[in-house]
Amino acid sequence: MAENILLIEDSAEHAVALQLYLERSGITISIGTTTEEMFSKIRTKEFDILLVNPFLNGKSISSEIKELKNSIPLLQVIIFCIKQNLNQAMDEVGTHAINFLEIPVNSKALNLAILHARKCIANDKRIKIYSERLADLEHDRTLYHQLFNEVPCYISIQNKEMRLIGSNILFQKDFGNEVGEYCYEIYKHRTSPCPTCPVIKTFADGKSHSTEEVVTALSGQQYHVLTQTAPIFNDDGGITQVMEIATDITQIRQLQGHLSSLGLMLGSMSHGVKGMLTALDGGIYQMSSGLQKNDPERIEKAFDLIKQMADRIKKMVLQILYYAKSRKLEYQTVDIVHIFKTVISTVTNLARKNCVQIEIDIPDSLGDMDIDSNWLQAALVNLSENAVEACIYDKAKNKNHKVEFRLWEDNNHRVCLSIKDNGMGIDQETRDKMFTLFFTSKGSQGTGLGLFIANHVIQQHGGEIKVESILGEGTCFEIYLPRKKAEESVAPFGKPIEKLS
Amino acid sequence: MKKILIVDDDPNIRDYLVSLLEDNGYATNTAIDVRDGLKIAKEYKPDLITLDLEMPGEWGPRFYRQLSQDNELKNTPVIVISGLSGNDYAISKAVATLSKPFDREELLNIIKENIV
Repeated sequence: MAENILLIEDSAEHAVALQLYLERSGITISIGTTTEEMFSKIRTKEFDILLVNPFLNGKSISSEIKELKNSIPLLQVIIFCIKQNLNQAMDEVGTHAINFLEIPVNSKALNLAILHARKCIANDKRIKIYSERLADLEHDRTLYHQLFNEVPCYISIQNKEMRLIGSNILFQKDFGNEVGEYCYEIYKHRTSPCPTCPVIKTFADGKSHSTEEVVTALSGQQYHVLTQTAPIFNDDGGITQVMEIATDITQIRQLQGHLSSLGLMLGSMSHGVKGMLTALDGGIYQMSSGLQKNDPERIEKAFDLIKQMADRIKKMVLQILYYAKSRKLEYQTVDIVHIFKTVISTVTNLARKNCVQIEIDIPDSLGDMDIDSNWLQAALVNLSENAVEACIYDKAKNKNHKVEFRLWEDNNHRVCLSIKDNGMGIDQETRDKMFTLFFTSKGSQGTGLGLFIANHVIQQHGGEIKVESILGEGTCFEIYLPRKKAEESVAPFGKPIEKLS
Repeated sequence: MKKILIVDDDPNIRDYLVSLLEDNGYATNTAIDVRDGLKIAKEYKPDLITLDLEMPGEWGPRFYRQLSQDNELKNTPVIVISGLSGNDYAISKAVATLSKPFDREELLNIIKENIV
């Protein structure tokens, strides 16, 4: 290492002697004889080692040396002086120098002192680099932490037991800062890991996995999320943690829901449309043949038919247009008891065939209410069928399966209906997902549309659905509906479902 | 005069077919569902039957199965006229399958070709 040494000594002969000795060892030095020279040389060139006699022309320059050392901390100072002054030099310069040599300077001692200085220089430089790196590191750490926190997804870090050991701000905002809790408890209120857990898969194969889930936030709000996982490796290449990123895709699903139910409606109507178009063809044919035959009776009949078909087609097209826009309800005043009896009658056959008993507790009259009876009946029939099916699919023996229908009015003058079965019951996860589009617990038997539409229709009526269920013991749906048309229209989709306590 | 039995639950379509076929020189009779259709077919002994697929109660394919088990009726040609999409194979032995709304000339041609 080629360090620059500055030698300050008032005795020119001694200085030259030291210079000659050091140059023989391959070290070049600059020489100064006064304090002024010391300062000016230091200013013009960078020196690593200052070899100095602190008593120039009989005067102590210890304070100047200390000042210099303080302003250039990396500069290493080696003191040499005559034996009588050594004590004073040590007292005055102290730890600002790394070595104190006696004149005449012992060559070995000088070599060692320079070697020592070199070591100190190397150490000081290293420390300087390290502390700079540490500052960079701290800066990067803050930056990455900020990036991690600000990512607009839910990020959680989980260990092999599915316990949360870290999460970002968005996750903590919506799901709480529950370090140590189980992922499935926080996200889904489950008591065991989800059957298709992507984190377990990533622990097993080290690859990224993805699923779509419905999760429930602290607020009760449900989110459709797309989850993706990534392994976090330790120094040995083992997977100790897995990062799970969940992106909120609720809006996309809602849009999809609307589009697909529109498609579904068009599909289910196509049969009716074709019939109407055929009848319209018939009307036109009879009109033209009636005109040819000059048969007024036939002409009149044909005209009536055409008018009737035109009206029906018009109504249907308008319905589709409404539906595509906002699906407004067509309110009419109906007899409450009559409506619910009609609903129940649609499932009595199914129940009887499968030995499911139906119990009805309905008052003789509850007066009228304003509803869109087509939509609401469809929703209630769906819930009723589900109740009967929950009994049919229940594998439990020695159970007298039954579905109980109750109808009453609550203190807020709301019309209340409960549909209670003692069938198979549903678990928490199913309960969380049950009102979402295309979720079905019936495998290929279900479409995942029924409860989605039922829930939406009841919300549009300003009503609400509550669900209580115990796995293996049965389920109870309670539906609350206002008697009069809801003043404010409910947002098209996605109001969270309340659960019975 | 050749006799045609029309099986369809929609009264407007029955009326249409009756007018169209009578105007073209056929005698007609109508049935509103499968059970009605089988009963009338046995008495009326039509030379040809037009059959809707989707009707309240039993559907068209059931009518055809029962028809083909009746020795007197099993050779009666059947033309399916239905609003169901993808219905070509619902009754594979039908002489033709038309989609609603159907083409008048096409129907009349098929009848002319198949009525004995």
